[in-house]
Amino acid sequence: MSVAHDVHESTGIENRKLGMWAFLSSEFLFFGALISNYLLFKGRFPMEDPLHPINFYDIPFTSISSFILLMSSLTMVLAHHALSENDQRAARTWLLATAALGLTFLSGQFYEFSEFVIKGASLSAAPVWSSFFVLTGFHGAHVAIGVLMLLILFVVSLRNDGLSEAQGMNLELVGLYWHFVDIIWIVIFTVIYLIP
Amino acid sequence: MAAAHHPTTKQYIQIALALAVLTGIEIALFYIEEGVDAVTTSVTAPALLILAAIKFVMVVGWFMHVRFEKPLVSRFFAVGFVIAIALYAIVLSDMGRAILGG
Repeated sequence: MSVAHDVHESTGIENRKLGMWAFLSSEFLFFGALISNYLLFKGRFPMEDPLHPINFYDIPFTSISSFILLMSSLTMVLAHHALSENDQRAARTWLLATAALGLTFLSGQFYEFSEFVIKGASLSAAPVWSSFFVLTGFHGAHVAIGVLMLLILFVVSLRNDGLSEAQGMNLELVGLYWHFVDIIWIVIFTVIYLIP
Repeated sequence: MAAAHHPTTKQYIQIALALAVLTGIEIALFYIEEGVDAVTTSVTAPALLILAAIKFVMVVGWFMHVRFEKPLVSRFFAVGFVIAIALYAIVLSDMGRAILGG
């Protein structure tokens, strides 16, 4: 990603950007632990038990949520692209669209959790459910933080009548974070929901 | 890296459409596996993982612009990913053996 900005060190990559890549790289270990935890408990959970997660998942609903998050990556990259062409208005619109899609995804996750709880699943129902709620809950928390950062950028853009060069770097960093949240969901959707 | 090397708006939309189609195929595979006895998890699970891997690479490569960045960026990213995959593959196989072994 390359909205024009100063490069602040010898690698030719902005320090903050390199820091963000290092952070995202470490996040693989974080989510890897949570996914492995879920898989271990799921593997030990009897298939015939009515509390087995496979009896709870609503694949059509989660598919729509996944599609929404996937499309938010498009709006995010379009925000960055618009800013790189100095189209402040389009950048602002795409930023807001990304935040709206993120909020829609979070609403879907809240609805899904509520449905599961109504049907008898909870954090304490079984270890597999603890690991499920912790994994998807942490992912949801990442999305919520992303939405917050997007809205802050949107407000800054409104107040300053556009994003400056330095703030363009902030948008780039938020974009990297947002796409990372999306790729983690790509893995969760496949490994947790689709593979029995 | 100059912005001119990056995809155009039209190309971004095409990539998003490709991602949507891949997601559609994943969902179709899920229902095929549920509905057809002859198709087992041993066939669909690897197919689903391959599709997820393609989507992963597309988002990282084009939306995160890794393919247009300096190699240092992809190395940074790959290190965490490879360590995580290796570590948890060992953990899962070891724990799986322990569970199967009683």
